Amino acid sequence: MILTATFLSAFAGAGLILLLPERSAALARWIALLAALAGLGFATVAFLDFDSAGPHFQFLTNIPWIPQLGISFSTGADGISLVMLVLTGLIAVTGVLFSWNVTHRTRAFFAFFLTIIGGVYGVFQSFDLFLLFVFYEIVIIPKYFLIAAWGSTNREYGAMKLTMYSVAGSALVLLVMVAAYAASGAHSFDLFTLADPSKAHFAPGFQAWAFPVMFLGFAVLAGIWPLHTWAPTGHVAAPTAVSMLLAGVVMKLGSYSALRVAMTLFPAGLDQWRLPIAILATAGIVLGALVALAQKDLKFTVGYSSIAHMGFVLLGLMTLNLAGLGGSVLQMFSHGIIGGLLFAVVGRMIYDRTHTRDIAELGRMNLTKVLPFAAFTFTVASVASMGLPGFSGFIAEFTILKGSWTSLPWLLIPTGIGVVITVAFTLRALQRTFFASSEASTYTHPLDPITLPEKLGAVILMAATLAAGLFPSVLLDPILRSFQSPLMHQLLK
Amino acid sequence: MLTALLPESLLVVTALVVLGLGVSMPKARTTSTAITLLGGFLAAAALLLFPIDGNFLHGMVVLDPIARIFKLVILALGLIAAVFASESFPETHFAESLALILFGTVGMMLLTGTEDLLMIFLALELTSIPLYVLAAFNKTSRASAEAGLKYFLIGSVSAAFLLYGLSLIYGVTGSTNLLAISRATADPLLTAGIVLTLAGFAFKVAAVPFQLWAPDVYEGAPTAAAALVASGSKVAGIFILVKLLIAGLGHWSGAAGWGQFLPGWAPVLALMAAASILLGNITALVQSNVKRLLAYSAIAHGGYLLLGLSSARAETLPAVLFYVIVYALTTAGAFGVVAIVEKQSGGSRLDDFNGLAKSSPGLALCLLVFFISLAGIPPLAGFFGKFYLFSAAMENPSMLWIVILAIAMNAVSLYYYLIVLKHAFVLPACGDIRPAGSPASRVLVAALALAVLALGLTPNLLLSHLGKHAPAKVASLNTENFSR
Amino acid sequence: MNSDYLLLTIFLAVAIVFPLIPLAMAWAWARLFSPAKPGKDKQSSYECGIESTGPAQVQFQSHYYLYALVFLVFDVETVFLMPFAAAFLKLPVSAFLALMVFLLLLVEGLVWAWAKGILAWK
Repeated sequence: MILTATFLSAFAGAGLILLLPERSAALARWIALLAALAGLGFATVAFLDFDSAGPHFQFLTNIPWIPQLGISFSTGADGISLVMLVLTGLIAVTGVLFSWNVTHRTRAFFAFFLTIIGGVYGVFQSFDLFLLFVFYEIVIIPKYFLIAAWGSTNREYGAMKLTMYSVAGSALVLLVMVAAYAASGAHSFDLFTLADPSKAHFAPGFQAWAFPVMFLGFAVLAGIWPLHTWAPTGHVAAPTAVSMLLAGVVMKLGSYSALRVAMTLFPAGLDQWRLPIAILATAGIVLGALVALAQKDLKFTVGYSSIAHMGFVLLGLMTLNLAGLGGSVLQMFSHGIIGGLLFAVVGRMIYDRTHTRDIAELGRMNLTKVLPFAAFTFTVASVASMGLPGFSGFIAEFTILKGSWTSLPWLLIPTGIGVVITVAFTLRALQRTFFASSEASTYTHPLDPITLPEKLGAVILMAATLAAGLFPSVLLDPILRSFQSPLMHQLLK
Repeated sequence: MLTALLPESLLVVTALVVLGLGVSMPKARTTSTAITLLGGFLAAAALLLFPIDGNFLHGMVVLDPIARIFKLVILALGLIAAVFASESFPETHFAESLALILFGTVGMMLLTGTEDLLMIFLALELTSIPLYVLAAFNKTSRASAEAGLKYFLIGSVSAAFLLYGLSLIYGVTGSTNLLAISRATADPLLTAGIVLTLAGFAFKVAAVPFQLWAPDVYEGAPTAAAALVASGSKVAGIFILVKLLIAGLGHWSGAAGWGQFLPGWAPVLALMAAASILLGNITALVQSNVKRLLAYSAIAHGGYLLLGLSSARAETLPAVLFYVIVYALTTAGAFGVVAIVEKQSGGSRLDDFNGLAKSSPGLALCLLVFFISLAGIPPLAGFFGKFYLFSAAMENPSMLWIVILAIAMNAVSLYYYLIVLKHAFVLPACGDIRPAGSPASRVLVAALALAVLALGLTPNLLLSHLGKHAPAKVASLNTENFSR
Repeated sequence: MNSDYLLLTIFLAVAIVFPLIPLAMAWAWARLFSPAKPGKDKQSSYECGIESTGPAQVQFQSHYYLYALVFLVFDVETVFLMPFAAAFLKLPVSAFLALMVFLLLLVEGLVWAWAKGILAWK
């Protein structure tokens, strides 16, 4: 029940906001904040309540929904789910905080925002394929409106491109789901049933096409190279909170679902397609970093860095050993926080004030002097993004690299190059934006100081990545333990 | 026997009363609508309170639970069109438009309750002719006249095809009763009859290549008439096609799987379905008039329904029936929104929807619900309908080729639905818009949106009834040769 | 089975070809042996009469069509009445009532048409 409360609070918040009259737009922010805090609260309580010695999957709910198709409302959580739920809560709260200044059609904005949050919560706790897909799709439509109506550069094009890519990926997933329902012989959509070889069997020939199609369908949302081009355009076009959502949790929907569904259902297909996907992931790391190096727009840089970091996630998934898989989930959490923080600084702190994202122009504004808090936050975020020890990114990437060394050693060379390039473009962006000019600012208009909600949001995210970096076992232990469950254990080689 | 046709008789009496009202009190529009609704509710009450099952007049009137569900749905669709009529029909001859809607509804209800070829044709004509007139009802609009003429000409030609096909089937099998036909032996002439009959019905469902009337009729006809055409005649057409193909022609279904081709009507339906899905979705991408866009969307949805039928298995029947009902409710709601917007902005082009979210947020939300449901996005009924349909079709894995096409085109369709929603939610209004639309229409639109949401979250509301009665009906039709 | 239709196919072919032959011959004759040679006196009125002036197309009064429609309905009604009248004495009361319903429906249609002014010549 506590898990259901996470998405129920989000949807209830959205519904409540829609009922507000026109003049109470300011109230919408507070309702959104309360709903986000409630969701975070429920997720944290569940995380703390999780009995590490008990069954692998706890907080289970199973209500028959559509018996004709074997669909039930089946939710639950293991370590992986709980980590992702806490991440969602953090991003939700900080997203609302960083959107405190939205004055144009506030109610609709927060209603759409909370709907996405509710959908994301739902995906991370679903153990019924149909239910997972329903939540997965609920996220798509509000994304379009948020970007098209409140976005900036090229927003209508960016919104449509992002939505169509997402829908195309979902179509691939739907195809495999529908085919798998008939092919399994189990007449159920329950994940536990379908992944159990004794209850549902998928022929190797079926898996040979079903796995890549389903994995790629999910991985589109995760930003797998070369199906990633929606992400930079969409991220840049989106308003701050939506960029945070997108990079923070929505991209993780794709990788989480790929892990939870595609990889567990079709192990034989996974064996066949493992190396090509690992190569694509590595390509994403290297090429994403290279393209980020060439960007002149700060938000594009951050967008491409997301692609690079998600490449790590996908690489970790393909290692198929405990270190790689565990690191991959931790990287999902870590990059969620760091990506959210980066977009928050670029979008809310910088762009909303200076109305430019051009690195050269920003460099001339002496932002370190005018917006010291923004400089500080961006430095911390960049450092975490580079994988400096002490922050969560280091643990995650190190673990993935360790896992890759065990099973895919040749890929470590391009990945290492990618890490170096990541450091390069991050430092370049940091230096040129904030530490470029030592003379007085050429920007004559005074910039608004950083507001309290922004500071709160930044502190929360920075604290999260620092805590995860200093005490990784808090997250890693539940994650690694969840790979001992029969459902996930079959992945390990 | 009289009580078997009680709902239809009540509707006919109501129509005559409304006609009389139209002659004596031409200005009393609300009274006419109220009497129409009253008659409709009485007919619905008769349908629910006197649940008669049985076979009357040698199969000319056949009632069973499934037929009753569909009669109720069609009655509801007719009443929905009657409520939206106040937005779209001109003031002169208003009562006549209501009477025609009622007569059309009677025809559709008769169509769902028959298993006899002659009655099928009779009911089909009773449905079509009022719809022809309704399409041309707006005398001041050239588009309306064009719509009516095209609908009438193409409809008459297809009725001729249908009649020829039905008479060939009768000639070969020696009977007009569907059950007797199913026991006949094959004959090359029967093939000709089946193809011609399918041509006639494909017109009704707006399947390629018999879809040329749909865009012009949907665009030109008064919106309430288009709503009835889109929802009611599709439901009735699909239902009777299902009955005809399963009850009557089940033995000659053939198979439409990839690499499993067997001659019969299933491959024909599969090809028509594939063509409709492709043409409907791709042409809709470039439309600038929302009603025309909905027409191409109707063609595509006809394709999805025929896809379900072409798998020729008993398991797909509840899915097809569920989806056609869901689609009819969604389209009726969408046309309702269009009718209100037309009155507000003076047209139904994309630009006329600009700024709808600001001027009428509730209406814009309903529009969102309907269009997202048509696009097949959860948690709405359209998603579950499509999901169920594709899952049921995939019970035969060789149907993968057409399911891939359908899912791909479904993803493409989101683009044009989002374009309409973009105009409503994102783009600012051009000029002042004063919200229009009678309270009844608005309440009805909201109720339909709620129904679509409810059916999406709890499809069992409808599915349990269909799932309970459809297999029983199929079994009673003695078609053990049907499902493979 | 095919031989049943073979005969029909041949018949169909002959039936199509048979009338076409004289038509084709007539066309060929006209083309080859009697080409058109129009002249002023050939086109003038036969025997006597005024030369026609103005276009030949007279605007059709749509009211004829409305009368024809209403007439057709009642003509078909009469067709239905005739066998009923012939067998009237042997039919039960219910048949009479059924036909009265039929008649009254059509009478209501006539009343409607009358009240709407369709029967008045405009």
